[in-house]
Amino acid sequence: MENTIIDNKITHDLMPVPFGFWGKIWTGILLLFCGIGAFAYCLQLKNGLAVTSMRDYASWGIYISNFVFFVAISLVGSLITAVLRLANVRWSTPLTRISEIIAVSAIIFASIIIVVDMGRPERFLNLVIHGRLQSPIIWDVVVISTYFFISLLLLYLPLLPDLKLLIQSRGNRSDRLSKVYHFLGSFWKGNPEQVKRSRKSINLLCITIIPVAFSIHTVTSWLFATTYRPGWDSTNFGAYFISGAFLVGAGAVVVAMYVFRKAYHLERYITGLHFDKMGRIVVMLAMLYLYFNINEYLVPAFKMRKPEAAHLMDLFAGEYAPLFWFAIVVGMLLPIAMLMFKRGRRPLPMFIAGIMVVVGAWFKRYLIVTPTLLHPFLPMQDVPASYHHYFPSWQEWAIALGSLAGCLLVITLLVRIFPIVPIQETINEQHETAK
Amino acid sequence: MKPLNKFYTMLMILGSLTPVSLYVKAQDSTKKDLLVNIGYYNVNNNVAYLGIHARTKTDGKFKPVGGAKVRLYLDKDSAAYLTGDLITDAKGEAYTTLSPSLKDLWNSSATHTFIALSNGDAAFNAARTETPVAKARLQIDTGAGRTISVSVLELKNGSWTPAKSVDIKVAVRRMGGDLAVSDKESYTTDSTGKIDAEFTREGLPGDKKGLLTLVAKVEDNDLYGNLQVEKTVPWGSVLNSENSFNNRSLWAARFKSPIWLLFMAYFIFISVWSVLIYLIYQFRKIKKAGRTV
Repeated sequence: MENTIIDNKITHDLMPVPFGFWGKIWTGILLLFCGIGAFAYCLQLKNGLAVTSMRDYASWGIYISNFVFFVAISLVGSLITAVLRLANVRWSTPLTRISEIIAVSAIIFASIIIVVDMGRPERFLNLVIHGRLQSPIIWDVVVISTYFFISLLLLYLPLLPDLKLLIQSRGNRSDRLSKVYHFLGSFWKGNPEQVKRSRKSINLLCITIIPVAFSIHTVTSWLFATTYRPGWDSTNFGAYFISGAFLVGAGAVVVAMYVFRKAYHLERYITGLHFDKMGRIVVMLAMLYLYFNINEYLVPAFKMRKPEAAHLMDLFAGEYAPLFWFAIVVGMLLPIAMLMFKRGRRPLPMFIAGIMVVVGAWFKRYLIVTPTLLHPFLPMQDVPASYHHYFPSWQEWAIALGSLAGCLLVITLLVRIFPIVPIQETINEQHETAK
Repeated sequence: MKPLNKFYTMLMILGSLTPVSLYVKAQDSTKKDLLVNIGYYNVNNNVAYLGIHARTKTDGKFKPVGGAKVRLYLDKDSAAYLTGDLITDAKGEAYTTLSPSLKDLWNSSATHTFIALSNGDAAFNAARTETPVAKARLQIDTGAGRTISVSVLELKNGSWTPAKSVDIKVAVRRMGGDLAVSDKESYTTDSTGKIDAEFTREGLPGDKKGLLTLVAKVEDNDLYGNLQVEKTVPWGSVLNSENSFNNRSLWAARFKSPIWLLFMAYFIFISVWSVLIYLIYQFRKIKKAGRTV
């Protein structure tokens, strides 16, 4: 009897709710940004990549920075869901759905933004028709598709028990949402065979997603590291990218935790304990990423080979110095300093630290991509003055911001449709705790 | 007009012309001297050709002058002796052959003088250069023990006679330039107009048949200009270069991936997707289990 009351309370608390006033405003703003981005993309399709500020040297701009950023954030799914689940860490249960939703949304927009960067989307087919297996670009296409599929499964399979609850809660209603729930989960009865197969499948997915997640970001790093250029010529790039990806992913989860907790009043389910634990993880990851940054910059700076020197000096004390030190200080040092202390791991400071990590990470991706392209080994000669610098055009900003808004929109819509915190798992854990 | 007015008019005209005259004078004083050298070239005793090199001295350094117009004459600077009108390129160089109309004049004597004339322009003063040339030829031969004999012959009184005290370089043609056949940089002809050089570059890669191209050169000689003669000899090692263009490699075309890469890529792909297909199979089982209850 008592269990039933608790179950009902949990189910009631965690059911998705329609957008309120602020939810509608938020969705409207995201739609507006997406619309502006779509308009800018139409202009780019019509006039070609000439509408961007990318030229012969800076041929990768904020589109590719955004791509690397999205790929990095998508790794959070494997961190929270797979790694913590396999390590039998129980406190992460309320965060698994958030992580998987972020992962799926980010990987969708990673795929979209790379097509945007191609300029001629119809030529994407050429990658399949004429692609060379020797090229890391082909590996990236394969591994992103695979990771997307696994992330989708990892979001969907644990959702099945909750879909049953959602269908029950809708009763005999036949609106669109009910049809979606029926389509996705009407076959789930929760019988022992289904539960057994589902658990087995989820465990297998968790094992599979870890090497694939490592591959996706390693291969993305190889897009740079296999190109001989100052700043990219590193054997450490895979590990450097993965550590950064875990950090930004964890930062994004912290931000999402705070926002959803506040917006949907989930204080009972996403507690101070979760923020404390996530804070510790963020500190560890920030330290790890800082370590790789020191490796990546200090070693070449110590040698100061001539081609590297111009690139490094531009980062340390030149044109990119404000951005570089912002990314290091705001993206790593300050979050470490804040989250080292218990008081810093409370929800609001954690939220601020998460924002700092995510914003710092975006600029860090930009600093990895563009300054290197503007420091080629051969001197830039007989080119227009604009080729020596890169600042994104308004179309690029609009498309990049549109893609970020699109990613947030997908997260918002998924959260509107599905429970943010797994209901059935929370109930099960509650029963186990009660025993 | 009153006499006073006339005086003022004259003064005004003079006054207005003064800056012009000063400007013109200033222009003259800023003009630079154009230095023109004439080069005479004979390769493999074929028809000779001529080159001019235009330079000027700026900030204590010689710099090439592009776009300089130079008229080149044989023996006399009149229209009948004109060899060609030349305009120098960005390196300050221009080349031409002797005009066919001057064939008889060229054959009539063993020595000639080439005259280069530049009329000057807004930037450079007029210039005139004369370069005397005596007809000469090089002969190259090889003997036992990989020795190379080179003779310089000068045309005198209608016959080719040995030219002594002429500096000669003997080298072997390489891709990046000429490599001296031994450690000795140059040789000087004796009273018989001959030098002997030893080929000491053993094991030097030749072409597919092991052939090397020897070259003997007289460079910037005051009398004979630039002479050059070549001879092919089988003294190099046979070059068995393997063409890896169409082999399997990481940088080859689409269907030329290395076998190990194909194996690794397909192994990883099949392994991961086998698991995913198995999961789809499991998912179908889950669906089926829901229907049978």
